[in-house]
Amino acid sequence: MASSTDIGRGGPLPPPRPTTGVVGWMRVNLFSTRFNSVLTIVSGIILLVSLWYGLGWMIFSADWTVIGVLGGQMIIGQYNIEAACNGQNCFWRPQAGLLLVSALLGMAWGVAGNGLTKRIAILVVVVIAAFALLPYSLDTMGMDVRALLVANLPALGVGWALARYTPLGTPKWIVIFGVVIFFVILVLLRGVPGVPGLQPVSVIYWGGLMLNLLLAVAGIVISLPIGIALALGRRSQLPVVKLMCIVFIEVFRGVPLITLLFMSQVLVPLAFPENFPQNSLFRAAVVITLFSAAYMAENIRGGLQALHPGQAEAARALGLPGWQTTMLISLPQAIRNVIPAIVGQFIALFKDTSLVYIIGMLDVVEISRAFIQGNTEYLASAKELFIFLALVFWVFTYGMSYVSRRIEQHLGVGER
Amino acid sequence: MTTLRSMTTYQGIPVWRHVQVIQWATQILSGILVVVLVVWFFANIANAVQEREIPSGFSFLDREYQTPIGQHFLPYESSDSFLYAFAVGATNTVIVSIVGVILATALGIVIGVARLSGNWVVAKIALAYVEFFRNVPLLVQLFFWFYIVLALPQVRQGYVIADSVYINNGGMSIPFPVPSTWEAAITWFALAIIAVAAGEVVNRLLTRREILTGASTYPLISGWATAIVIGAAGWIVVGLLNGAAPLTISVPEPQGTFGRIVGGFTVAGGLVALLAGLVTYTSSFIAEIVRAGIQSVGRGQVEAARALGLPAMEALRHVTFPQALRVIVPPLISQYLNLTKNSSLAGAIGYADLTNVAKTMTQTAPAVSIYILLMAAYLAMSLTYSLIGNLYNRRIKF
Amino acid sequence: MEETTGPEEMIVCRDVHKWYGDFHALRGITTTVNRREVVVAFGPSGSGKSTFIRTINRLEDHQRGDIIVDGIELTDDVRNIDAIRRDVGMVFQSFNLFPHLTVKSNITLAPIKVRHMPSDEADDIAMSLLERVGIPEQADKYPTELSGGQQQRVAIARALAMQPKIMLFDEPTSALDPEMIKEVLDVMQELAESGMTMIVVTHEMGFAREVADRMMMFDEGIVVEDGSPHQIFEDPQSDRTKLFLSQIL
Repeated sequence: MASSTDIGRGGPLPPPRPTTGVVGWMRVNLFSTRFNSVLTIVSGIILLVSLWYGLGWMIFSADWTVIGVLGGQMIIGQYNIEAACNGQNCFWRPQAGLLLVSALLGMAWGVAGNGLTKRIAILVVVVIAAFALLPYSLDTMGMDVRALLVANLPALGVGWALARYTPLGTPKWIVIFGVVIFFVILVLLRGVPGVPGLQPVSVIYWGGLMLNLLLAVAGIVISLPIGIALALGRRSQLPVVKLMCIVFIEVFRGVPLITLLFMSQVLVPLAFPENFPQNSLFRAAVVITLFSAAYMAENIRGGLQALHPGQAEAARALGLPGWQTTMLISLPQAIRNVIPAIVGQFIALFKDTSLVYIIGMLDVVEISRAFIQGNTEYLASAKELFIFLALVFWVFTYGMSYVSRRIEQHLGVGER
Repeated sequence: MTTLRSMTTYQGIPVWRHVQVIQWATQILSGILVVVLVVWFFANIANAVQEREIPSGFSFLDREYQTPIGQHFLPYESSDSFLYAFAVGATNTVIVSIVGVILATALGIVIGVARLSGNWVVAKIALAYVEFFRNVPLLVQLFFWFYIVLALPQVRQGYVIADSVYINNGGMSIPFPVPSTWEAAITWFALAIIAVAAGEVVNRLLTRREILTGASTYPLISGWATAIVIGAAGWIVVGLLNGAAPLTISVPEPQGTFGRIVGGFTVAGGLVALLAGLVTYTSSFIAEIVRAGIQSVGRGQVEAARALGLPAMEALRHVTFPQALRVIVPPLISQYLNLTKNSSLAGAIGYADLTNVAKTMTQTAPAVSIYILLMAAYLAMSLTYSLIGNLYNRRIKF
Repeated sequence: MEETTGPEEMIVCRDVHKWYGDFHALRGITTTVNRREVVVAFGPSGSGKSTFIRTINRLEDHQRGDIIVDGIELTDDVRNIDAIRRDVGMVFQSFNLFPHLTVKSNITLAPIKVRHMPSDEADDIAMSLLERVGIPEQADKYPTELSGGQQQRVAIARALAMQPKIMLFDEPTSALDPEMIKEVLDVMQELAESGMTMIVVTHEMGFAREVADRMMMFDEGIVVEDGSPHQIFEDPQSDRTKLFLSQIL
C-alpha cells in the first residue's frame, strides 16, 4: 500500500519496457505458446518448401513461350485477323478506344485531385504504355502499334488538363464523357458501313480481354439502375409490383448464369420480332446484365432494410414527397452502406464474363482454351497459360476490391 | 359542371389528389405494364414456336435418349429414356454438390479460423489463400486443374498411395465398400440406423440426468459407445448368418498392359478437376464468412463468459460459437447454392452435369421444353436451399 | 370547414381514433390548440401521446374523426397532406439527422427541394438558425461528429428552416445524456417565448411547469386530464394523474 502513495507523490511512473522490436514482435506473433511455436515452424517449413519449388518452377522449368505466341489474341481476340478486317489494319481502333479511356482517367485525376485517383490513373496508363517495350520484332508488333500505346501517356495529360483548365472539370461531365466514350468505343469497334477506315467488323470476331471488359462495364453500368428499380419494387407496398420483382429476382438468382446464357441463344431470338437486329454479343450482354441486376437488387434491398425508419419519417415530416425521400435520403444511404457488397457483385460479374464460352464467344479464357485444344504441341504449357490468366484476372479483381476498401475508409467520415 | 365535378371526385376529393386513388392507380397501371411485357415476351415465343415450326411438347421424354453419358452415379444405358437421362444428369449435379459442400465447408472453416490465428505466418498464409482463390474466375481454375489432371502420367506410371489409391490421367481410384449380398447390406444398414438412434437416445437420457443430478455421466462418449457396440454386434450377426461380412472393401487394381483400373471406385478426371476447383473456390468464400461470423460476436460476450469463470474452450463452445453460427448460416447456405449452380461449369471440362446433359439433349429434342425442365430442376434445388435457410431462421429466435 | 376554425385555432381535433390492427391506440381525442400555445403531452409509455402528435402531420393516419391544422383538414387529399407537412415541423427522439449530409445540408435540403428556395438564401437561413441554436461553428461537420445535444439542436434548426407555424416535439430529450438535456430545453424555451405554437411530448416536468400553457395527461388512448401546469401539479383531479406524477417526480 505504501507504494501506491509513492506513485501518487512521485507523479506518473514510466511505462514498462515495450515488447516491440523484432524479437518482441516474434515472441508475441510467432512463439507465444508451445503450440504456436510448433505451428510457426511447421507452416514456415511448408511455406518455404512450396515457395522454393514454386518459384524454381516458375523461373527455370516453366515454359512461358505460349503467352508470347498467343500475344495480342488474348487482348483483342480475332479482331485483327484477315477474315474480320479484310485488307486493312484494324488494330488501331481498339487502341484509339484505349486512348479515350486514358483521357477519361486523366480527367478523373484532374477532378479528384491528388491521392488515390491519381495513383490509379498513372499506374494504369504506365502499364499500358509499357506494353510498347515488349521484346517483339517489328513485323509482330509494328512501330504504329508501339506509338499508339505510348500515346496513352499524353492522352492522360490531355484529360488532366481538360479537367483542370476548362469548365469540364466536374464529376457530372466525367459521367457524361464516360457514357459518351463507351458508345464511341462501341461504334469504333463495330465500324460504320461506307466510311473508309471504319469498315464493319462483325461481333463474332470481338474477343479476348477486350470482350470481358466490354461486357463487364456494360453489365456494371446497366445492372445498377435495374437493380435499384428491382429493390424498390420488391419493397413496394403494391402487391402486383412486389410479386413480379420477387419472381424476377428469384428466378434469375436460382438458375446458373451459364444455363441462362445457353438458353438465351434460343429464347432471346424467339422473344423478339424476327427482324430485330441482334447477335450473340447483345444476348450475352442482356443476360449478364439481368443476372447481375437480380443480385444487385438483393444487395441494395439489404441496405434499405438496414436503414433506420426514422430517416424516411424525418424526410416526410419536412415535407419531402415520397420519391424525393427515396432519391435523396434512403437510396444514397442504402447504397453507401452496401458498397462492399456492390463491388463484390462487380467483381463476380467480371469473373462471370468468362462464361460466354457457352455461346461460342472467344473471350480471353475461351481463346486460350481453344488455342491449347487446337495446338496440342502446347498441351504441356496449359498450366502456364492458365496461371497467367489467373494472374491477369487477379490483378483486375484485387484492384477493384482494393479501391472499394479505400472508398469505404474515405466515406467512413460521414458514417453513423 | 356539378356532375363532372362529382364524377372526378372520390370522398369529396379530386381523384388525382386522393392518396388511396393514387396508390391504386399506380398499382393497377404498373401491374398492367408488367403483365403486358411478360405476355408480350411469352406470346412472341409461342408465336415463333408455331410460325417457325419449332418442335415443342414433352412427348420426347419417353423416347430413348441414345446418347452416352460420361461418368454417372445412377446406372445408365443409352437405351434409357430422355426423362431418365435427365434424372441421371440431375443426380450427377446433386452428388457433386453434396461432396463439394462437405469438403468446401471443412476446408473453409479451417482457413477461416486460421485467418484469425494469433500466429502471424498461419494468418498470412490463410489471407493469401482467400485473396487468390476468390479473385480468380472459377472457369480458369477449373481449366487449370483439368490440364493438371490431363498432364498426369498414365496408369502404369501413375502415382500409387499405400497400394490402394491410384492417381493418374484417368482420374483418382479409391477403395470403396461394396455389398457382398444386397440383403445382408440392407439389413446391416437398417441395424446401423437403429444403432445411431439408440446412441442418440442414450446421449439425451444421460445429458438430462447430468443436468438434473449433477452427476458426471459422459453422455456423448456413452452414446457413441452404444452406437458402436450395436453396430458391431449387428455386423457380426449379419456376417455369420450371411456367411460373409455385409460389406467388403473393393480395392482398385490396374490390369492388362494399358493398366485399366478394376475394382474400387474411380473418380473420373473431369470430376476430380471439378471438385478440386469447386472446393478451393467456394472454401475461400466460406472462410471469409466464418471469419466475419466469429468476429461478429462482441468482445464483451467472451469477456462476460470468462468473468463467469467459464474456461476458454467452454466459452468458445457455449457462447461464441452459437452466436457466430447465427451470422454464419444464412450466407453459408447461399454459398452452398452458389456451389451447386457453379457445378454447371462442369461441361467445360467434360463432366456430365445437369446443364451439360440438357445442352446435349437440345440437339435431338425440343429445346424450349428442355429449358422448362432445366429451369424447374434448378429452381427446385434453390428452393430446397432457401427452405433449409428458412427453417434455420425460424429456429433461431434471438 | 373554414368557419369552424377561427384564426386563433391552429389545431382542432374532434374525436380522433386510431387502430393498429386490433389495438385501439387513440380512443377519441378532442382538443384545440391555439396560436402561440405551448402544450405538453405526458403519460405512461404506450398511452398514445406519441401516436397523437404523429397523426397531426400524417406520419400516422387516423381512421375516425377530424384533424384540422391551420384551417386545412387532414384527409386523403395529397395536396392537403403536403401543405400541412410544410407548415408543421417535427423533432424526433432519435434526432433522425441525415448522416450522409453535412449539418448545413441537412438544414437546407427541404427549403431547396420543397420550397424551391435559391441555395444562397437557404444557406443564409441555415447559418442564422444555427446561430440561433448556438452552434454556427459546426455547419460543415457531419452529424456523427456532433454530440447528442448538438445533434438535437441541429434537428430543431432543420425543422425551423421550413418556417413552420407549428412545432411538434416527440420526446426530444429522452435519448440525451443528462448534461445535454438543458441545452436542448433552453432552445425549446426560447422558441416558445418567441411565440411558436408547440406540442411537446416530454417527461421533463421542470420544463412543463415553466414553459407550458397547458398540459395533457394521456392514458390508454384517451386524455385523462387537461389543464394548466399549476392545476396539474398542485391539484390533479384524476387518480391516474396523481399516481403517474408521484412516480416520476
